[in-house]
Amino acid sequence: MSDWSKVTRPIPVPNEWTRPFWAAAKRNALELQRCQSCGHFQHPPFATCTQCISIDLKFEPVRGVGTIYAYTIMYHTGDKRFASAVPYASIVVELDDAPGALMAGNLLGAEYTEAKVGRRVEVVFEPLNDDITLPQWRLANV
Amino acid sequence: MWENRCKVAISGVGYSKATRSADIPLAAHALEAVRGAVADSGLRMEDIDGLATYPELPATGHAEVDGISVVSVNCMMAMLKLPNLTWHIQVGTTNIGGAVQQATNALLAGVCKYAVVWRAMHNPSGTYQNLPGNMAAGATQFTGPFGFGGPGQGMAVAYTRWLEKNNQTRDKMATLAVTQRKHTQHNPHAYFYGTPLTREDYFASRMVAYPFCLFDCDIPVQGAVAVVLTLADRARDLKPAPAYLAGYGQRLHFETAGRIGSLSSYMEGGSSSAKLTWERSGFTPKDVDVAQIYDGFSASVIYGLESYGFCKEGEALDFIQDGRIELDGDLPLNTFGGSLGTGRIHGLWHIIEGALQASGRAGSRQVKDVNVSFVGASAPIVTGTTFIFVREPY
Ligand SMILES: [Zn+2]
Repeated sequence: MSDWSKVTRPIPVPNEWTRPFWAAAKRNALELQRCQSCGHFQHPPFATCTQCISIDLKFEPVRGVGTIYAYTIMYHTGDKRFASAVPYASIVVELDDAPGALMAGNLLGAEYTEAKVGRRVEVVFEPLNDDITLPQWRLANV
Repeated sequence: MWENRCKVAISGVGYSKATRSADIPLAAHALEAVRGAVADSGLRMEDIDGLATYPELPATGHAEVDGISVVSVNCMMAMLKLPNLTWHIQVGTTNIGGAVQQATNALLAGVCKYAVVWRAMHNPSGTYQNLPGNMAAGATQFTGPFGFGGPGQGMAVAYTRWLEKNNQTRDKMATLAVTQRKHTQHNPHAYFYGTPLTREDYFASRMVAYPFCLFDCDIPVQGAVAVVLTLADRARDLKPAPAYLAGYGQRLHFETAGRIGSLSSYMEGGSSSAKLTWERSGFTPKDVDVAQIYDGFSASVIYGLESYGFCKEGEALDFIQDGRIELDGDLPLNTFGGSLGTGRIHGLWHIIEGALQASGRAGSRQVKDVNVSFVGASAPIVTGTTFIFVREPY
């Protein structure tokens, strides 16, 4: 299993678009930007709805369950911050509640070989510091 | 069809030596390539009155120093002091293909007569994607914390999606790497000229970012290439046979920053650019005699073949088997070796080869009886552009 203990993850810097996402994650909740005109969820946050160009966007709670949409297994150690964890699985998750909103993360608590397109995953929250908590993923039976 | 079909042509082409390390400033490479292209056309430097490039350094965490790690239009102007210069530009929303398209537009508008486009690529010392620091700002706040460091991983996630959705295996990609390296042996300007690659080498190579092994990734080099563009009427009076531009396109789909892995974004980017190119040129994929498709990472060729319409979605790795992409195959592909053979100089090399094949100047790698020569000059998702060059301007 990938050893994450010596990894120094770069810490997200929230901005005016992304602050609500990180505020929710800190409360161990998943909230994504949703268009109030057409109901479309999107991630990462953007200035307008990528479906209907509305600027009426709010963050709404979504359930932290979905499937692995895509993944890669990292072997290259060029990024020294992550070198101690290779090989590790970086995954892209599509949530049940937000089709098309793709969330990057790592597959935790499982061998990296368990990352496969279509596998079910659920969110786990990994605090980085007092301000930032990362939504991460583990295999799920749901 | 496009009213300007075949009214502009690529004439001369030029290259610098591609080296692994940056022994001399990048400006010297760019100058060598530009001089080579101008001389190949039989022009004098003072004939050049238009300049265009895309100077970006795709490496992360290295200083952009003009003349050292990038070669901007300003840098080239300062070096050449062209007495008759009337037009120049640097592009942003497309890669180097956009600079070729802008030069085309400038020639058609009559604001210059002989335009030079160059692409110069620096190989910084140390790690190419140098990702220091402990903060992830902007779009990287949603990718950086999870170890998505460079473009290779962004490309790799779409590749796993493609492989597993289509029940395919990465082993089939060996054919692309090996065939392109075979083509490379006909290209003395390529970094891997003189270095063959076997299937065994491919399967034994170290993994970089699964499904990409070492030979799925182009090697960073220091080097430059350049072309001279001019109106077709003028091109006919120059030394080399012209490669007439029958049509071009650019991707019309934009992926929001930080959203990675979406296979449909590659497809929409590529198909939108190709659709314009087919419509403007009047050709279809079936008419194409030879194709150059950007291959900075091998999977780009999959997205290109499928989104441009050469084969159906999910079939690209089967399509490239059984000799189809050999020099005498149904669709000779990346006949100069691709970026996997030349080293990382981006898509101007693909455009050069597209032009050389159309004008019958590709030497020992010349495909027989070429009229329609297709180019996909960068990854379809981000900065994709497509071109068709022809030998016969009608
Ligand atoms: Zn909307």
